[in-house]
Amino acid sequence: MTKGRIRNNIRRLRFDRSEMTQQELAEKVGVTRQTVIAIEGDKYSPSLEVAFRIARVFAAPLEEVFQYEAGDSDAGAA
Amino acid sequence: MDLSYQEKSILGSLLAMVVVYGYYFASVLRDLGRPEFDGGSIGRLVLAVIAIIVIEIAYQIVLAIESKAEPKDERDILIECKAYRNAYFLLATGAALVIACVIVAALARDAAPTRIIVTPFLTVNLVLLAMVLAELVKFLTQLFYYRRGLR
Repeated sequence: MTKGRIRNNIRRLRFDRSEMTQQELAEKVGVTRQTVIAIEGDKYSPSLEVAFRIARVFAAPLEEVFQYEAGDSDAGAA
Repeated sequence: MDLSYQEKSILGSLLAMVVVYGYYFASVLRDLGRPEFDGGSIGRLVLAVIAIIVIEIAYQIVLAIESKAEPKDERDILIECKAYRNAYFLLATGAALVIACVIVAALARDAAPTRIIVTPFLTVNLVLLAMVLAELVKFLTQLFYYRRGLR
């Protein structure tokens, strides 16, 4: 039984948006650069509010920025 | 190693506590036979508290000048909450142990009057030790989660 994981495409989206820096994204979202680094490295799953703010910065739907990968415990849930 | 502003701040507080209270408890160990928590003991404790405050203020000022101060965000607050949970557990355990020591010593004294082992001096310092250890656990938990991440 493993927990599900939240993956993200923030690094690619930053690159696509004329190589936006982590600091720039952090300032636009209202978190620290360390938190952006942690989110990008899948070391921290942000709150729903921060997730929506990140998606808004990239003008992308939430599902394009974040994806949920189900763990073993979720396998039979659907 | 690239440390964030919060990590540097915590590391400084941790080192200050280890040095000041390490010195304080080393001197307490030398006076373990002292029965009362008298004027000299209070003075030593007050000195330790003042030393911590002075070192903390000086360090935080230097840190704010050296690195750009960052306000806490939701990740910092979540890590702090987890750290407080661990610290609370240690503090509550420490307090329960001190109470148990006092009760056992009182019962033993009533049953067979011998010399009192758990003196007021020892009791105060055991409570203080639990508080200091809880604070250290808080700092260490924070550093752990900043390094490992919250998954």
